[in-house]
Amino acid sequence: MTVERSADVSSAALGTQPRSVACQCRNASVDLGSRAGPRRILGDINFDLHEGEFVAILGRSGSGKTTLLRVLGGLVDPTPESVVTFHGRPVAGPPQDVVFVFQNYAASLLPWRTVHNNVALGLEGKVPVAVKRARISESLATVGLEARAADYPWQLSGGMQQRVQLARSLAMRPRGLLMDEPFGSLDAMTKASLQDQLQQVHQHTGATIAFVTHDIDEAVFLSDRILVLDGSPATIAHEIPVELPRPRDQLATKELPEFLRLRRQVYDAIVETGD
Amino acid sequence: MTTLGVGPADAASPVEPGERRRTTPARGTRTGSLPPLRGLLPLVVFLASWQLVASRLSPFFPPPSDWASALLDLSRSGVLLPAAFATVITFLLGLVAASVLGTVLGLAVGASARTDRALQPTLEYARAMPPAAVVPIATLLLGFTGTMKVVVVTSAAIWSILLNTRSGVRQLNPVMFEMARSLQLGRFERVRKVTFPALLPSIFLGVRVAAPVALVITLLVEILTQVDGVGALIAQSQRNYEFAQGYGLILVAGLFALLVNALVSMLQARVMRHRPPA
Repeated sequence: MTVERSADVSSAALGTQPRSVACQCRNASVDLGSRAGPRRILGDINFDLHEGEFVAILGRSGSGKTTLLRVLGGLVDPTPESVVTFHGRPVAGPPQDVVFVFQNYAASLLPWRTVHNNVALGLEGKVPVAVKRARISESLATVGLEARAADYPWQLSGGMQQRVQLARSLAMRPRGLLMDEPFGSLDAMTKASLQDQLQQVHQHTGATIAFVTHDIDEAVFLSDRILVLDGSPATIAHEIPVELPRPRDQLATKELPEFLRLRRQVYDAIVETGD
Repeated sequence: MTTLGVGPADAASPVEPGERRRTTPARGTRTGSLPPLRGLLPLVVFLASWQLVASRLSPFFPPPSDWASALLDLSRSGVLLPAAFATVITFLLGLVAASVLGTVLGLAVGASARTDRALQPTLEYARAMPPAAVVPIATLLLGFTGTMKVVVVTSAAIWSILLNTRSGVRQLNPVMFEMARSLQLGRFERVRKVTFPALLPSIFLGVRVAAPVALVITLLVEILTQVDGVGALIAQSQRNYEFAQGYGLILVAGLFALLVNALVSMLQARVMRHRPPA
């Protein structure tokens, strides 16, 4: 049932452009061990991510949205009958060309490596040195941190550290980014500026992005489509296309009637599913 | 003796809270790790007053100037240098073996919560085993040899390194490894680039505790078994009522300890110089 609906909604959202499927999720369920034996966290999740699409995964805390993202990233194994593919290959372990961006930037950066060497981590031994250097300075320039390349992560602010993590992901030239509440622990100003940067990155790289958040405004502002998770085990309760013009602006876009309407629709979806 | 030297350095190292996010990393830890020599002043005062008070005729408490001449005699007869060499080699081999084995075993034990729980009682038991009690068994198995000495030193020095590595492993944030997997780092690459550097502070904490232990046990084994080394000489001079020589050798052993402490501190400061100030 969800399959058909998702197909309808996506073709509507995409308008005339047919885009190929980047990631496929069919009958995906996840059991996680608890003291009382395995408990089903996600049940029968079905959706596609299209090439270059920005999809926000929304839900209240504990709704399993991070678990869903971790399944896509190959960090959590779904049940055997689940079918999860990225770029046509079944996900078994972290897929090639897809990078996970963690909420906990402090733990995801290596404190003994400089910013430059943190960004280098995924490239070492995989690309020629000259290519590596070029890609590092390019991705640091993209997030505006060229000047801090020689510093250590712990000498930077939280927002800058998260930008380093983003630069490290971009240096891998990923076709997919899986972002787990990446701006969740940042202040409002920093968050807004990072949202703008992420939007630019998305436009320039054309990467497929799955973005977990609990911030409704953020989800509407950034995404092409919003998946709302709910229930126990969680399923995709709502799927809401976002057809706001791009590029989006922190003030102008958020004053559009369509933005306010979507905001209300998403809010209602979350509240309604909660009862 | 080593603690005397460390005191003033600790007093000098605290950094103002505002100073933490400096661009030049860890200025305090770098200079603060080497204790200034003036920390030895109490020892010097003690020896000087001994020199002033002691009688040259006292068989049990000869003045330090006599110790020096006794050491010189020992050195001239060609005994002191080989003994010092044997002690240093035993100490170093024991400490290195303990560091390597302790790190590997600590990693293995800490990697799984189940192994960790299962081995806990055995580890606690083995750790509490006094090294002096191990010596007779070691001599039985390995004879009165250099290998025996190294094995005993290793078995005593390994615990702080093993246990620190193990608790270090358990405190590592899993995000670090998920990140490494997501960046397509292989298993071996993950250990080399993530696990090992992340554990270095824990390992070094263990080595710092293990180093003086290794030295004490080296001397103890030498005293107990008479196999080479400064410890063997100390035991001999005691048995022969050569007290000036005995005191002199104990002073030499103390200087060793001081040197070892300084060496480990320098190494630690070097390894940790790019880490966030704790």
